[in-house]
Amino acid sequence: MSAATVTLVPSAPGRGVWWAQTWAMSKRSILAIARQPALVMPSLIFPLFFAALGTSSFGKATVLPGFPRVNSFLDFSLAGSVVQGVLFGSVTGGTALATDIELGFFDRLLATPTSRVSILLGRLAGAAAFGAFQALFFTLVLIPFGVTIEAGLVGVLVITLSGALTGMGIGGFTAAMALKTGSSEAVQGSFPLLFIALFFSSAFFPRQTMQGVYRHVANVNPMSYLVEGVRGLTIDGLTLGHVAGALLVPAAIGVVSIGLSLRALSGRLAAR
Amino acid sequence: MSTPGTHVLAHAEQAPGGTVVRSARGIARRSLRSIVRLPSAFFPALLMPIFQAIAFSGTFFAITKIPGFPTDRSINWFLPLAASMGAGFSGIGIGFATIRDLESGFFDRLRMAPAPRTSLLLGPLFAAWIRGLLVLASVLIVGFAFGARLEGGPMGLVTLTAGGLGIATMGTGWGLGLAYRFRDMRAAALMQLTLFNALFLTNAQAPLSVMSGWLHAVARVNPFTNVLRLARQGFLGDVTWQDSWGGLLAIVVLSVLALLFALSGLRRLADD
Amino acid sequence: MTSTPIISEGLVRHFGSGDKLVKAVDGVDLAVAEGEIFGFLGPNGAGKSTTVRMLTTLLRPTAGRATVAGFDVATQANDVRRSIGVALQDAAIDPLMTGRELLDLQAVLYGIAPSAVKARGDELLERVGLTGAADRRVGTYSGGMRRRLDLALSLIHQPTVLFLDEPTTGLDPMSRITLWEEVRRLNREGTTVLLTTQYLEEADQLADRVAIIDHGHIVSQGTPAELKAGVGAPTLLVRVDVERNDAARDVLARFGELRPTAEGTLGVGLEGGPSQVTAVVRALDEIGAHVHHLELNEPSLDDVFAEATGHRLEGAESAASGEAGGEAGRGDGSAPAAPAGRGRRRSRR
Repeated sequence: MSAATVTLVPSAPGRGVWWAQTWAMSKRSILAIARQPALVMPSLIFPLFFAALGTSSFGKATVLPGFPRVNSFLDFSLAGSVVQGVLFGSVTGGTALATDIELGFFDRLLATPTSRVSILLGRLAGAAAFGAFQALFFTLVLIPFGVTIEAGLVGVLVITLSGALTGMGIGGFTAAMALKTGSSEAVQGSFPLLFIALFFSSAFFPRQTMQGVYRHVANVNPMSYLVEGVRGLTIDGLTLGHVAGALLVPAAIGVVSIGLSLRALSGRLAAR
Repeated sequence: MSTPGTHVLAHAEQAPGGTVVRSARGIARRSLRSIVRLPSAFFPALLMPIFQAIAFSGTFFAITKIPGFPTDRSINWFLPLAASMGAGFSGIGIGFATIRDLESGFFDRLRMAPAPRTSLLLGPLFAAWIRGLLVLASVLIVGFAFGARLEGGPMGLVTLTAGGLGIATMGTGWGLGLAYRFRDMRAAALMQLTLFNALFLTNAQAPLSVMSGWLHAVARVNPFTNVLRLARQGFLGDVTWQDSWGGLLAIVVLSVLALLFALSGLRRLADD
Repeated sequence: MTSTPIISEGLVRHFGSGDKLVKAVDGVDLAVAEGEIFGFLGPNGAGKSTTVRMLTTLLRPTAGRATVAGFDVATQANDVRRSIGVALQDAAIDPLMTGRELLDLQAVLYGIAPSAVKARGDELLERVGLTGAADRRVGTYSGGMRRRLDLALSLIHQPTVLFLDEPTTGLDPMSRITLWEEVRRLNREGTTVLLTTQYLEEADQLADRVAIIDHGHIVSQGTPAELKAGVGAPTLLVRVDVERNDAARDVLARFGELRPTAEGTLGVGLEGGPSQVTAVVRALDEIGAHVHHLELNEPSLDDVFAEATGHRLEGAESAASGEAGGEAGRGDGSAPAAPAGRGRRRSRR
């Protein structure tokens, strides 16, 4: 752990120190992911499983009225898989933070003069790194199975970046949850809620094919727009609109969720 | 502490030992009591299939428009799936409870009793059936409210119940067998994952005639496809023997195998 | 009823294989006579619980044989189960159920006639003093109440042989004495009792005969009086200035065999008996050892245990403190015993 290095730091750290602390915290959360493959495997396997299942089951649905023009259902699925994987992953990340709190490790960090914000940002940087990895992983794994990225190499880069922002954005919510409740069980309990939010969006099927109330819900569900930016890059091509959608939507979600988690952090600090 | 009583223990040479049905009923009653006393363990199992029925029908609303799809109501297609999966997972829930009993040592009490070993399996099975029926009823009520229709008349309810309880039986045998072998929560993950896969690598999402590729090949030989066909037929049209016998056969064969798997696991408990 | 309700001959239980082979029980011979309270004494992981698990049909022996109430535990398991009552170490009782519900379930599993269930339950609840708590969930019971309920459960079918696995581990002194009284009473009524314990006092208080088990072997067996007589000389415990410790030890060795003791204390079995105490003090004075503490103990089961195993029984004093880990199948205290304790998370209250 890096706590030993940060204790040497004076109480008013300069900018360089702040970065070093944030980097150290990021490294810890990234290593935690890399060292526990069993914890993150489900977040890599399940989205692929659902993509494969959907492609075989709904392959013939791509000709339905309202369905966008796609080469295959798999192309359509990629974006949903990325977001789904990130959801799984951020619950794992949030649970890890809650476990830190439960085990008292978080208090130990607070006892050092580490910047409070570094502790949180380190967590979120870890979530971002894992989100980027997931986006790239799903894209590269599905390419041999016929996924084509219409936006080309630049599109892949944007999708990866979008994965990072999504990881940070959703990770902000689970971190806020962890900081607020301090209970790993509560964070895990949030998973069904996130999953429901994902299902009531266009993650698995186009909004345009839905009906009634369900369609209204999908229309106002931010999850729909989170998915559709990346989807546009995959099935349509490199347009400013798609790039903006792929980056700005998760960034906006991030602003909200990081704000929430900072508030939860200061609430936790105030309660000490 | 109250004063001990004055009763004198009269010795009996041997206890008669419980009969199969009475012991099984006693064990089942305990399991059902826990629905009321530990609702947090049962409610997710009840709500998940309801969510699944609604979410799948809403998201994949348009798939009924694919040429050759056997119904024009997506809820008719997904309600029986969610109901029978939910009923099936009540068997897995029994597996979870058994793991807890093995961990706490309560199961030793059952094993030390001079009740027939079969009652240790039948008790949980009865409980799984009753839990399964509760799930079936709840999903049906919600499903009908959302517009599901029994196209084939009341017989459709019989075949759905047969399919659901069939899956519950297999789930119970499989869940108990794994619980006896692993004796910790690893078994729980394995139970869920295997049943989930077995049920999804079928015609769960789309009829065989609509699907394509690898899933078609797998689903065609997966016996659970027949079970789902049995369960679903009354919501798609008339109940026929042709759509029933394959499912019934699969239920009988797989249930016997699963219960034998459980029985051999129960015997092995004394070995290590 | 046979006059020797519990017999084991060369009973062996191994866990795992190869490098990980743990010989939890390694050839145990027992013969418990009818009407006896037999104490099975040993530290955690000595093999007590594993032996009991074999005798109560929960575990199949690797080798050897055992009969309980005249039935072979391996081949006539169900007959054994009909004949015995068992209260296991954990008092594993479903916290969601009430005491009465548990008694009802137990009655059903033991085939008590439906018409008799209620009366039998009432009798037993009264007997263990739980009538008032009968309809409360077991989760709200104290540790002592749980053990008493566990005892009531084990008596539902009026067994002639009763196994009690560490019945008072973790209990406060009051609850312990209540339970002891109940065990004595059961025994007076003709119940043969095999009880395992890691508390010397418990064995001394309750047992007609005691077997001491260590590392899977029985190292000593007999009535408490016989065992103590076997140790012979009383133990003189002496504490002197630390720097004089070695010299004092040499002095003590002249008066008898040195005995294992707690750190910082010297112990010797006084061969000449209590009359030698003055001689010892004089000899210590001669070498300039200042005596801080002097204590003469008649032989106790602790001495028997130390003599038989070469080490003191842990927990002999800290009886009520929670002890580490489960013991079922542990080969020795140090082995993690992956295969045996597995799946049985123990929590004691």
